[in-house]
Amino acid sequence: MDKKWNLRKGCVLALIGYAVLAVLFYAIAGPQFRVRIDSTDSVSPSASAGEILAGAKLEQRFVSTSDRLTGFSVLCGTFGRQNSGVLHLSLYDETKGQAEKILIEDFSVDLSALQDNSWYTVQLETPLENAIGRNLLLEIFSDDGTLGNAATVYYGNSVATGRVEIASEGWTPLYQNGQPLQGTLCLQTAGETDLWFGRYYWYFAVGVGLLLGLYGWRLCALEKKGKSCLGLKLIHAFTRYRFLIQQLVSRDFKTKYKRSVLGIIWSFLNPLLTMLVQYVVFSTIFKSDIPNFPVYLLTGIVLFNFFNESCGMGITSILGNTSLINKVYVPKYIYPVTRVLSSSINMLFSMVPLLLVILLTRTAITPAILLLPFSLACLICFCTGMVLVLSASMVFFRDTQFLWNVLSMIWMYATPIFYPESIIPARFLAIYKLNPLYHFIRFARTVIMDGISPEPKAYLICLVFAVGSLVIGGLIFRKMQDKFVLYI
Amino acid sequence: MIEVKNVSMSFRISQDRIQSIKEYLVALIKGKLKYKDFWALRDVSFSVHPGEVLGIIGHNGAGKSTVLKVISGILKPTSGSVSVHGNIVPMLELGSGFDFDLTGRENIFLNGAILGYSRKFLNEKYDDIVAFSELGEFIEMPIRNYSSGMLMRLAFSIATVVNPEILIVDEILAVGDESFQRKSRQRMMELMSGGTTVLFVSHSLEQIREMCDRVLWLDHGQVKMIGEAQEVCDAYQI
Repeated sequence: MDKKWNLRKGCVLALIGYAVLAVLFYAIAGPQFRVRIDSTDSVSPSASAGEILAGAKLEQRFVSTSDRLTGFSVLCGTFGRQNSGVLHLSLYDETKGQAEKILIEDFSVDLSALQDNSWYTVQLETPLENAIGRNLLLEIFSDDGTLGNAATVYYGNSVATGRVEIASEGWTPLYQNGQPLQGTLCLQTAGETDLWFGRYYWYFAVGVGLLLGLYGWRLCALEKKGKSCLGLKLIHAFTRYRFLIQQLVSRDFKTKYKRSVLGIIWSFLNPLLTMLVQYVVFSTIFKSDIPNFPVYLLTGIVLFNFFNESCGMGITSILGNTSLINKVYVPKYIYPVTRVLSSSINMLFSMVPLLLVILLTRTAITPAILLLPFSLACLICFCTGMVLVLSASMVFFRDTQFLWNVLSMIWMYATPIFYPESIIPARFLAIYKLNPLYHFIRFARTVIMDGISPEPKAYLICLVFAVGSLVIGGLIFRKMQDKFVLYI
Repeated sequence: MIEVKNVSMSFRISQDRIQSIKEYLVALIKGKLKYKDFWALRDVSFSVHPGEVLGIIGHNGAGKSTVLKVISGILKPTSGSVSVHGNIVPMLELGSGFDFDLTGRENIFLNGAILGYSRKFLNEKYDDIVAFSELGEFIEMPIRNYSSGMLMRLAFSIATVVNPEILIVDEILAVGDESFQRKSRQRMMELMSGGTTVLFVSHSLEQIREMCDRVLWLDHGQVKMIGEAQEVCDAYQI
């Protein structure tokens, strides 16, 4: 009777928790759910269009790829001198079927304020709605440019992808006084794309809530009838073995630093020192131009260290508990799971130095940081799945741990921990993005460094990797676990 | 209470234990991947009634420990089924799950959790356990500093603090010095006479005769005889 009531209470609590989370989620990540801010890449500058004199006209046609165009940037040059006068950037709508081009907005650039070789960014006064697929025309001309007192813009015909430049294709060339030049204007456009997920978020939220409610109701009904199902079994196992899990985790934790002088401080110190070494190496010896490098680095280190530690220790979690498995019946998944939990606690401790570095580097802390647990939870699920597979295969083949040493090293280099992801050549990017850690770490960095929520797709990818790994790992483990006793 | 039906347990013994992929592949290519099936249990059926003390006897390798492991869920039988009603406390080997870097106190909770006790229960019984183990102030010391006798006393105290519905005992009656042996034997007798169902493996026929209601005689993995304690023991001794 008591238990039944507990289950019902648990279900209600879970539903309330879900509702609160759903609302909170929307409050934090709402803007990123509704629109995606995107910017197009520019070609690499290879030549300048020469001094833009009065009467000369540069024309660049382009097609907007965003739903809403909010602004654009042009790479300008001043020939290293102080100029005066005005440069005009006029944006026209040239959609087919219209007899004449329609002026959208004209921007006057005060040349005296222009920096040499820098991007000049303008914002449209009212964003251009329904911009996607529209043919737009940017005209650049000067009213009063004279030789020796004029600015220039750059153009090029290749795009940078990582370290390789590839020829840009299919771009409309820049026209100078009606004559095409060998390349396109160095132009970046900024826009917003509406996402369907944001529009239907509440339907989703309510739908999932209803499903959860139904499932809870079904669990209660089954419990009443005395039947069992996967969900009930999980809940029962959890309540039954909670104390054991607690004890095992606290054992892992107590024994880890038992005989060291600094003890638990190592949990803080370790990631901090690793970061320091890598920071020195990568900011002085190998120049890296990542903004806010300490935070970038430490986020990567903390997350990867967790992965590395939980897998490295978890791999022996079955073999290391041979004496227990041989003597007492306890569901065997308890051992790998507790191992991952211990590492998770360790990771939480290393969040402290991360926070410290965030404060020291004056990174703005926004409510988006509340989304960090999502990334961490996904990572923990992913690691649990990995550890289940690794520890099971370790029982049958002891080679696993040596293979794993190599594999984890490859994995480390395949994850953008200390290098920017932009150095990966575009043609490998598809393979590169198969790495789940890349997505977890990117998620965490967006949340911490940019202070905004990632786009909805990032949530989906993280979730798919986490649940996929957990399900596959669980299935493999379940299939193997009865044979463990015979092999250890 | 316990129902064992047609349980068979076979171990596949490969001629040489293959533990790496390389060895496996080499053996596979050579065609030397030979297995021998070893039947530790063959078609064993019996049942234990609530409150009964069942002794299990047999020669070394007769399958006594295997039966206990199958009942306690550690081994999954190759065929047949086992149904158990009630919570089992296995005393297959004392002190499994001790962590030598932890103190005696921490180990009481750890080992207790492994044996399936609840936190509330352990908090209540903590003083009893310490008192029974006669460890006194040593309880706050890491157990790597314990003598083997102290370890055994602690383990025994933790294992026997419960009144489980089913108790599985694999020859552990005598631990510690003379006086502790007497105390532990007395505790065992208490447990066994307290309405607990007991499965008891021993090589000492004396103990078996003294404690058991019924006896199961295993021989080479098969049930040779099951029945009244005296009867089976007499037959076994011949």
